[in-house]
Amino acid sequence: MNRIVTAITSLFLLLVLAGQFSAAAQEEAIAKTNLKVGDIAPDFTLTSNKWEKVKLSDFRGKKNVVLAFYVLAFTGG
Amino acid sequence: MAKLEASDTVVLGISLDSPAANAAFAEKIGVTFPLLSDMDKEVLTAYGILKPYDVKGSKFKWAERTTIVVDKEGKIRHVEQGDSAVDPNSAVSVCTGLHKPHGQ
Repeated sequence: MNRIVTAITSLFLLLVLAGQFSAAAQEEAIAKTNLKVGDIAPDFTLTSNKWEKVKLSDFRGKKNVVLAFYVLAFTGG
Repeated sequence: MAKLEASDTVVLGISLDSPAANAAFAEKIGVTFPLLSDMDKEVLTAYGILKPYDVKGSKFKWAERTTIVVDKEGKIRHVEQGDSAVDPNSAVSVCTGLHKPHGQ
């Protein structure tokens, strides 16, 4: 009986641990972009610091665009 | 930046700051290119670059530093993530390369 309880407890612990690891792996995956060289950049329209709408596809056929994503304003980078 | 403009390129800064915060930031650091607000994190989510941060026990999801070069056809030509993406030199060389006529 004790053995069964131990077995069930260890199994339960294993499952909990495995769950934590996969959750950590998922969080990690969030930061990595799935976009690759050669993909079409997903279009967007966002509001600029001058309250103007800027649409990525408006530059198509006209300009190359460097998208510089930064963490937060007023921090180094 | 002058190098980039010479290669037919615009720069767009993107973060989840508000337009007002970006306006103050742009003035402070003297940037001339637009800083865009993704307050809903729609673009950050679509581009898959939200990263969990832990600041003194408070958890947030903000952008990972990322530089993406998109060419005139809307295709991605360069992706750089992490702290090295702060250095614009590699993005600049990609754009300068795009500017060159084919066959050079």
